[in-house]
Amino acid sequence: MLEAALEHLVRGIVDHPDDVRVDLNNGRRGRTLEVRVHPDDLGKVIGRRGRTARALRTVMGGVGGRGLRIDVVDVDR
Amino acid sequence: MTGSAPDLAVDAAGVTDEQASPESELKPQERRIADLEQEGEIAADYIEGLLDIIDMDGDLDLDVESGRAIVAVVGDGLDRLIGTGGEALEALQELTRLAVLQRTGTRSRLMLDVGGHRARRRIELGKIATAAAERALEQGKPETLTPMTPFERKVVHDVIAEIDGVHSESEGEEPSRRVVILLG
Repeated sequence: MLEAALEHLVRGIVDHPDDVRVDLNNGRRGRTLEVRVHPDDLGKVIGRRGRTARALRTVMGGVGGRGLRIDVVDVDR
Repeated sequence: MTGSAPDLAVDAAGVTDEQASPESELKPQERRIADLEQEGEIAADYIEGLLDIIDMDGDLDLDVESGRAIVAVVGDGLDRLIGTGGEALEALQELTRLAVLQRTGTRSRLMLDVGGHRARRRIELGKIATAAAERALEQGKPETLTPMTPFERKVVHDVIAEIDGVHSESEGEEPSRRVVILLG
């Protein structure tokens, strides 16, 4: 459910919605949602000075509760 | 956002490039309203999609007011989408504006409300602003309020503008930007 929620939020704001992938990892340090997008959309998901990524974290923090981490994965790295 | 420009500027970031619209036989003003209604519909789709996924119930009310689209999620049990001090609501509004921009190519100033939060906050802020203005006038010195969101500062500026003998400015950088009430 959390993956689907974040996927929906990201798909709505990018040029390549079909390339959005979100995976949930339950690690020792808690739950992490890993977001992968088309390389050209990376800037859109992060936003100016990280503003959009912060908004995604804040909304998902409300939906999924505290301790939910969100990583935007830079696939080119 | 830099300097101490009025907060109105926060929302005025992008002015529309008029798009060729299929309703081109409409007058400019009618077309503008049609565009804002379309913004509301795109926003409603985006938010309804989220509500479905997270299994929250809420009705969407759409309106156009003072040149902006208003989207309200109405219902109970929406607290998680409001968040502490409305932070989740502000964040969701930001994402919703981006979703509209993505679809229309035009920056949106749409206002999102969830569970009546903004309406309640407006009333609280009216009281806070009035009380602070009274203190400033009694003590003869400026009053600095706690940090607020752009929406909240706008509400306070509007209230202070109606009170004789004081005016208001914003100071500082987000997220600690705050209203100062000054004499004169």
